[in-house]
Amino acid sequence: MPEILVQYQAEIWQSIGETFIMVGVSILFAIGLGLPLGTLLFLTRKGQLLENRYVFSLLNLFVNIVRSFPFLLFVIFLIPFTRWIIGTAIGTAAATVPLSIIAIAYYSRLVEQSLIDVPKGVIEAAISMGASTREIIFKFLFVEARSGLVLGLTTSTISFISYSTIVGVVGGGGIGDFAIRYGYQRFETELMTYMIIIMIILVQLIQFLGTTISKTIDKR
Amino acid sequence: MISLIDVSKVYNQKDNSTFHAIDSVSLSINRGDIYGIIGRSGAGKSTLLRLINLLEIPSSGTVIVDGEDLTNLSKQKLRHARQSIGMIFQHFNLVSNKTVLENVLVPLELARYPKKERLDRVREVLRFVGLEDLMSKYPSQLSGGQKQRVAIARALANKPKILLCDEPTSALDPNTTKEILEVLQSIHKELDVTIVIVSHEMDLIKSICNRVTIIDNGQVYETVDIKPKGIVNSDHTPDWFLTQLTEERESDNA
Repeated sequence: MPEILVQYQAEIWQSIGETFIMVGVSILFAIGLGLPLGTLLFLTRKGQLLENRYVFSLLNLFVNIVRSFPFLLFVIFLIPFTRWIIGTAIGTAAATVPLSIIAIAYYSRLVEQSLIDVPKGVIEAAISMGASTREIIFKFLFVEARSGLVLGLTTSTISFISYSTIVGVVGGGGIGDFAIRYGYQRFETELMTYMIIIMIILVQLIQFLGTTISKTIDKR
Repeated sequence: MISLIDVSKVYNQKDNSTFHAIDSVSLSINRGDIYGIIGRSGAGKSTLLRLINLLEIPSSGTVIVDGEDLTNLSKQKLRHARQSIGMIFQHFNLVSNKTVLENVLVPLELARYPKKERLDRVREVLRFVGLEDLMSKYPSQLSGGQKQRVAIARALANKPKILLCDEPTSALDPNTTKEILEVLQSIHKELDVTIVIVSHEMDLIKSICNRVTIIDNGQVYETVDIKPKGIVNSDHTPDWFLTQLTEERESDNA
C-alpha cells in the first residue's frame, strides 16, 4: 500500500465512514419521504387517480425549487433551519439536513417518472378488479415500476455522493471533503488522486449493484 | 342483469364545447346473454362497456347491475361491486412483473378470498383456461392468446356473474381468436356467466352473441336478437395462406 495512504489511514477511514453516514441517511430519506412524495406527484397529475391541480402544483413547485438551488448555496441558505433541527449547523449530522432534503426532491422526481411508464391499462385493470388506491399503489404500480424505481435510487445515490463532497463548507466531512482539503489546500496531489480512485470504485460498485438488481427484477 | 337507464357521458373539451361520447343510452342485458355491442371506431362502444362497471363515471343516468344501482354506491361499495364484475381488455393489461399465478392471485387478495383456498382457486381457473402448466411463467414468455387466457382466468377468479370484454380478440390472429371465443363460450355454458362483448369484428359478434346492439354516434342505433352461428373454424395453416394468395392472383388473371 502506498506510504501516503498508510500515513493518513485513520483520517481516510473516518472520512469514508462520514460519507457512508451522509449518503446512507440521504437514501433513507429518499425512500421514506421521496418515494411517497413522488407517488403523490404521479397520482395527482392530470388524468390520474387522485388528480388534483392544487396539490400537484404545490408539490411540483417544492421539488423544482429545491432542485434549482445550486447545492452549495442551498447548504448555506439552510443553516438557520439546520441549527433549529440539529442544534448546530456544523458537522456530519448537520450536513445530513440539506442532503436529505435534496434527496427527497431528487428521488421523488425520478419516482414520478418511473410511475408514468406504467401502462395505463394496468391501472385500469386494477380499478376494474375493485382495487383501492392503496392496493393499486402496492399491488400494481410499485410492482410494475420496480426496476425503474431501483435504477432511480441508484442514480440518486451516486448524486448524493457527489453532493456530499460539498458539505465540507459546514464541516460535514466525508471522502470528497477530505480530498479537497488535503489534495487541493495542502497540495497532496497524490493523496487526492487516491481519493478520487476510491470514489470512482465506489460509484462503479453502486451502479453495478443497481443495474444488476434492476435487471434481475425486470420481467417485462 | 344489467340495465342502463338514460345514461350519458359528456366530456368537456378545451374550447369549452361538450362532446357526447354516450348520449341517453338505455339498454338491458339479461342474465345468460352473450351480448354484443358493435359499431365503427369512435362510435362509443368501449365507453358504453366501461360505463357498466363505472370505469367511466356517467354524467347522468343510472347503471343497475345485479339489482344494485352502481351510480349511487359509496366508493367502498362500488369497489366491492366491481369485484364481481370481471373484465378483459384488448391489450390484456396483465402485470408483467408478476407470474401467471401471481396475476390470477391478485383479485382473490383484493376480495379477501379465504387465504387457504386461494391457491386451489387459482389452479382451478387456470385449468379451466388450459394454462395450468404455465403458472410460473411471466407474461412476456407467453403468446398473445395465452396472455388473454391468463387475463380471462384473472377475471374469473373471484367467481363473477358478469364478464365484460373490451375488444378481446382485436390484438390476436384468427386462430387465436377462435381459441379465445371457445373459452368465452365454455364460460357462458359451464359457469353461468353473463357476457358482454364489444367488438368491431362482425364475425366474432355473429358467432357467439345472441343479442346485439349497434352503436352509432354515442346512441343506440338498433338492437337485434340473433341466433349465434357458432365459432367458425378458421384454421390458418400455411396452405390456407397459400391458397388465399394464389386464388386472388388467378382471379386477377382471369
